[in-house]
Amino acid sequence: MLSALIWIPFIAAVLIGFGPRSLDSRQYRSISTIVSSILLVLTIAIAVQFDPSQPGMQFTEFVPWVDWLGLNYQLGLDGLSLPLLFLNSLLTVIAIASSSPTLDRPRFYYALILLLNVGVTGAFLAQDLLLFFLFYELEIIPLYFLIAIWGGQRRGYAATKFLIYTAVSGILILIAFLGVVWVAGTESFDYEQLRSAAIPLKTQLPLLIVLLIGFGIKVPFFPFHTWLPDAHVEASTPVSMLLAGVLLKLGTYGLLRFGIGLFLEAWAYLAPWLAIWAAVSALYGASCAIAQQDMKKVVAYSSIAHMAFVLLAAAATTRLSLLAAVCQMVSHGLISALLFFLVGIVYKKAKTRDVNQLRGLLNPERGLPWIGSLMILGAMASAGIPGMVGFIAEFLIFRSSFPLFPIPTLLCMVGTGLTAVYFLLMINKVFFGRLSDAVTDLPPVRWGDRIPAIVLSLFIIVLGIVPNWMSRWSEPQIASLVTDYGRPHVSVNERVSMTRD
Amino acid sequence: MNDFFLQTFWFVPFYGLIGAALTLPWSSGTIRRTGPRPGAYINLLMTFLAFVHGTVAFWQSWGQPTHQLVFHWFQAADLDLSLTVELSPVSLGAMELVTGICLLAQIYGLGYLEKDWALARFYGLMGFFEAALSGIAISDSLFLSYALLEMMTLSTYLLVGFWYAQPLVVKAAKDAFLTKRVGDLILLMGIVALSSYGAGLDFSELETWVETAPISTWTATWIGLALIAGPTGKCAQFPLNLWLDEAMEGPNPAGIIRNSVVVSMGAYVLIKLEPIFTLSPIASTVLIAIGSVTAVGASLMAIAQIDIKRALSHSTSAYLGLVFVAVGLGHVDIAFLLLFAHAIGKALMFMSIGSIILTTSNQNITEMGGLWSRMPATTTAFVVGGASLVAFLPMGIFWTMQRWMSGSWEISGGLLALLMLVNALTALNFTRVFRLVFLGDPHPKTRRTPEVAWPMAVPMVALTVVAVLVPAVPIRWSLWLSPIAPLENADLPLIRVAMPLLVLSGVVGCTIGAKLQLRRFWARPSDRTQRFFQDLLAYDFYIERVYELTVVWLVVTSSKLTSWFDRYVVDGAVNFVGLATLFSGQALKYNVSGQSQFYVLTILAGAGVLVLVAMGWLFGLQW
Repeated sequence: MLSALIWIPFIAAVLIGFGPRSLDSRQYRSISTIVSSILLVLTIAIAVQFDPSQPGMQFTEFVPWVDWLGLNYQLGLDGLSLPLLFLNSLLTVIAIASSSPTLDRPRFYYALILLLNVGVTGAFLAQDLLLFFLFYELEIIPLYFLIAIWGGQRRGYAATKFLIYTAVSGILILIAFLGVVWVAGTESFDYEQLRSAAIPLKTQLPLLIVLLIGFGIKVPFFPFHTWLPDAHVEASTPVSMLLAGVLLKLGTYGLLRFGIGLFLEAWAYLAPWLAIWAAVSALYGASCAIAQQDMKKVVAYSSIAHMAFVLLAAAATTRLSLLAAVCQMVSHGLISALLFFLVGIVYKKAKTRDVNQLRGLLNPERGLPWIGSLMILGAMASAGIPGMVGFIAEFLIFRSSFPLFPIPTLLCMVGTGLTAVYFLLMINKVFFGRLSDAVTDLPPVRWGDRIPAIVLSLFIIVLGIVPNWMSRWSEPQIASLVTDYGRPHVSVNERVSMTRD
Repeated sequence: MNDFFLQTFWFVPFYGLIGAALTLPWSSGTIRRTGPRPGAYINLLMTFLAFVHGTVAFWQSWGQPTHQLVFHWFQAADLDLSLTVELSPVSLGAMELVTGICLLAQIYGLGYLEKDWALARFYGLMGFFEAALSGIAISDSLFLSYALLEMMTLSTYLLVGFWYAQPLVVKAAKDAFLTKRVGDLILLMGIVALSSYGAGLDFSELETWVETAPISTWTATWIGLALIAGPTGKCAQFPLNLWLDEAMEGPNPAGIIRNSVVVSMGAYVLIKLEPIFTLSPIASTVLIAIGSVTAVGASLMAIAQIDIKRALSHSTSAYLGLVFVAVGLGHVDIAFLLLFAHAIGKALMFMSIGSIILTTSNQNITEMGGLWSRMPATTTAFVVGGASLVAFLPMGIFWTMQRWMSGSWEISGGLLALLMLVNALTALNFTRVFRLVFLGDPHPKTRRTPEVAWPMAVPMVALTVVAVLVPAVPIRWSLWLSPIAPLENADLPLIRVAMPLLVLSGVVGCTIGAKLQLRRFWARPSDRTQRFFQDLLAYDFYIERVYELTVVWLVVTSSKLTSWFDRYVVDGAVNFVGLATLFSGQALKYNVSGQSQFYVLTILAGAGVLVLVAMGWLFGLQW
């Protein structure tokens, strides 16, 4: 079942990549949309069969692969991967459906997007450390080309920067993985087996630090973040949506799955520092966002700020905080995808993203009233206004981390407050006021441009009103990350006393 | 069947929400053929239904025991977030007030915004607003109240920004949102902390939790201060008071609601939180200090205003300041009565000035005059509204004050002095505005001023009648909210002279207002001292400048600094490392396509070095 999620897009990518030249871009888009919709349906089918009350991995698959290396094709699904898997499938459909119908080299483009999907899905499902690494690296290549070929003016610079950063990230992760296998002395890279290995704290620490930097580049956290704004600015809209919506989650997923999963003691040891790191990253991202003049950069820096909250929640490592981390990943995935999509529409229609040139786009006759209204919605969701998914995710994070790290939590809350500042400044400049003379005669927005945004908005609102639909998949299982395998169960109270000591 | 409306009272907020959703086809411009009016009518109908439903439920709730309905909204791990609503005469009464004023304001809006093309959008927002307001009225959960307060913040932003093409409106909307958001965020911090210290977030749970609160006084103080911050923003109290004044750029029907019930809802939450402030004397003191400073400061600012809306909106802050003082002293019932009397009186005054603004297309009171004979209903509304806000004639506030001074509570000399001062200043201000607008000779802009049409006149007259009936509430109010048992010491000397003194202060205020030399066509005084004080008050004690020089400056500068640091230090270092690794900056910056082997080589080399370093480190640790 899980393999289908990996191999269907892979085969489709190959077929599309070598498909006939006679089909035009629009037809390839339809084909890819169908393929990705099948994947979405399949994901939903898996989610329906998924039993949240049952602990451990489900739908496990195991095929021996490279015996002497200890690499096995080993897949599984639990409450941590499922929401992210769904997010990935959903955003892939939306990204493909919202791609430009008049694209150069459509076969290559859609093949790459599907390959990207393969890599991300595989990484979320892999239960073998080396297999995870392979998928993690696999996802870099299509993304590099997607930025470097269909990007903006400085796409070469951005793509190379992205490539170097992510490659370094991959290498660090590989080092940590090799190290843990070597220290634990296991035969294979099997995740479960490695979790049960007892590694002394002193050895865990350097491995965890390497892993933290590796995934920290991917998320990204300050000071490893500079690739992200460049990549976002140069990437085309669908790629930006995928990058912010899904790919950054690979980093936080890795932190939760491997950082906490393999090095729990070291994690608990470093947790206070991680919380401070999260606060610094959140405030830094927010401060930078305020000063940006490019709409896409504002959203990109806001991504940095909001992903830092995941680290704060992960640092607290309680049942509630881990659930909060998952909720925040889903919430940020939906909200940032929506914002990038809307900015993309503005750019497409007005030909600029400069907040100083745009004005009054909410104008009902000659502006973009729908896009503007949805932008307000997205900004409010991002700022954590209740009734939308951002609020409950952030509330859970703050609520769960406050008893352990009060000061970093309060600083992160200030970061949330700044979200309202930079988005409001942007909306006020771009959408309010009189329509600027520089950008009159905007081409009309078609329903095709609105529907993806409306779908995302509906998800944001519905999950905000009924957050149980988001948390029910993860809540019973997420605790196993901290409790299983004879490791000491770290409860909130113990952690409070630990941090006080 | 009898109980049906009572049992489903929680549904009342949903009427507004449904109304808002149903107007979408018109507000989004999907249906253009019919014009925007159907959207407005749908919303009016829904608000009417909400009002009727609420009235029946309110009627039936008398004599019923207070009870809570709990809806478990979100449960995870050890957290149970429940949305609780309370069925009691007080909560239903507050809801009744909200839906009633919303209904009147919406009917009023039909006339006021008759020719506005975005009528449907306005009504959609009003429906949303009404839903949040009536939700807070019946909410018994701090969490739910917080969520609804945020919804209010959002709808304030959208309503103030309704005419978003005007620059002043844009600024006002932004300021309103951000100011309230600052308060809300600190409130959220308080909520998170409360919840973390094991308190349930229901108000009734909080009350019992306070008795056995396991927290130190300092923690209680911090939490108390955080909880005060939210209402401070919502009720436009110092130092978060300027947004209300700026928000007057928005359409007036929303201003009616904002100055009566919206600000009240912030104080309503504050009243419900009162038990927590008993934990910390500092928090109570701060509450009283904020309230007093705002009450006096805003009353003074109001006197120097020449914009008719601003002259009244500052007085809203002042009255809410009195409510803060009452809550800080623990006189919860009085706080509630003050809110009630103020809400009705202020709504009426805003309806009246709305009529004036629409008819004269002017907001500057120095350019008005002689309206009384031309607009009788409007004049009556202004007089009744003003009289019911000043302790002078036996109307709303008079009877509320009478209740306060009846000996049930301890009254200090300071409190009485504060009340007298505010009362006198308010009376002065209202008299001044009344003279400028309604008396004297007609001015060019007020010469052709017919009375407003029925959609505006009917709600105005109806509310005038209600305002006359308001005294019944403070007179008949049984003291069921205050945690402390009422005293019975009506023979204290201070109590005996309190009411006469208050009335006297009203008389003095009115007299000064009546004798004051009025300046038509706004000339600044030539005397330097006088000019200084007038400017000081007219420009709101330059609080905005203070904001600009402190908070705004801090945020802007730090964001610029961070951005510079990001660009030149962090990214610069990265690029420098990039140069070092690639041996040449040219390769990184300009030569991308042709050099991929070069990159691979570099990455492999880098990886090798890193692996070696890491291995060495590991080995070093091992041995």
